[in-house]
Amino acid sequence: MTHTLHRRGTKESLSEDYTVMMLQSVGINDEGHIPKIQEFLRIALRHNPKNIGSLTMGGMIDKPEEVIANASKIGHAVFDNKEAVTEVLRELKEADLGISVIVGGIFENVDECLEKAGLKHHTANFSLGVWGKTEKLPGNDILEVTTMCGHALIAPNLVKAMVKEIKAGTKTPEEAAKVLMPNCACGVFNPARAAKLLMAMAK
Amino acid sequence: MKIDGDVCIACELCVPYCPMEAISMDDVAVIDQDECVDCAVCLKSGVCPVDCIIFEPAPWPRSLRTTFSDPRTEHKETKIAGRGTEEMKTNDVTGRFKRGWVGMGCEFGRPGIGARFRDVDKVAQVLAKHGVQFEDKNPVTFLMEDKKTGKLREDVLNEKVLSAIIECIFPIEKFKDIITALKEVSKEVDTVFSVEVINRADPDGSYPLRKLLEEMGIPYYINGKQCVGLGRPLANV
Repeated sequence: MTHTLHRRGTKESLSEDYTVMMLQSVGINDEGHIPKIQEFLRIALRHNPKNIGSLTMGGMIDKPEEVIANASKIGHAVFDNKEAVTEVLRELKEADLGISVIVGGIFENVDECLEKAGLKHHTANFSLGVWGKTEKLPGNDILEVTTMCGHALIAPNLVKAMVKEIKAGTKTPEEAAKVLMPNCACGVFNPARAAKLLMAMAK
Repeated sequence: MKIDGDVCIACELCVPYCPMEAISMDDVAVIDQDECVDCAVCLKSGVCPVDCIIFEPAPWPRSLRTTFSDPRTEHKETKIAGRGTEEMKTNDVTGRFKRGWVGMGCEFGRPGIGARFRDVDKVAQVLAKHGVQFEDKNPVTFLMEDKKTGKLREDVLNEKVLSAIIECIFPIEKFKDIITALKEVSKEVDTVFSVEVINRADPDGSYPLRKLLEEMGIPYYINGKQCVGLGRPLANV
């Protein structure tokens, strides 16, 4: 369930891509967790997230109340700047909801957010990349988009189809990113970053 | 997943949605049943204008395809949705990854290639030889005949899934040997796997494993994820 790890990209592109999630632990603090996940989502929404989601409510940034009403087990929010992440972490520390919080992004930048929010490192997950028959992989430009859905539900061919549509002028990069977004079931896909990547591919 | 050929209008809209490229066009759209991982992306995208994409729950062992490939389904045994576990995300309350230990995940088929369990089996057996402890709550561990050997049940080996994760822990002293063995066996698999390692921070906030990776010249991504210790009750790790 490492769905927010292994996101590919350049330092510049990844500096606009952060995930914050809250997850209850089965058998430890799962009793009465839903209002806490809902509160997490409300806090995230105050800081202009690019996407939010719960277990099966991905890609519904346009319907936040629906996501909150149906929240369960896990909450996700995606941001495109470290200032927003810092503020979310500050509020989460203050709210003291007692459910685990996990932050994804460039280590150096996340460390800065943690320090400003008065939080410490607890446990890290490092990606050592892709091993095995890597010649089977699509191009890096495609992977930069598809790896923003860690469950791999965004098909490389759909990314290619969207690039074609942008080139043909039948979709804007933002519209194309919105076609990709709902396929990511959890809501950890970053449509703002995707639009930039798609635009670059279409050039 | 299946297409109702009597209803399909051959519009081709569903074709690019399949992460496994298992949908092709004949007179109508056709799904290659051996390559399809039953992730239901095609169905849940809602792209079909005539609703001709069908999902019927499959019997064992094909039923594994859905539980491993569609994160919206929950494993009966673990009550956790998707392919893995809470792993390090809740380490502040579970205390699974203690100081001096390394957690490792090998996520087969990711990103976007898919994997047969026979490749998972190959790597699990190599890791088992090095004495790793497989995660009890991980759905791949449930498929092992014997956790000491890492051997998976024979009847699941040909099943294909979008991804499946081996999760294990071992003392940090074993890291060098295990990573070397993993590199060797990675040459024998017919798919890709994403590798991740987990480490509990020292009291000064540093990660000993990060230091080790740098000393050994093992590249790691500039981005990753961190549990920030806001869970309660805090585990003593």
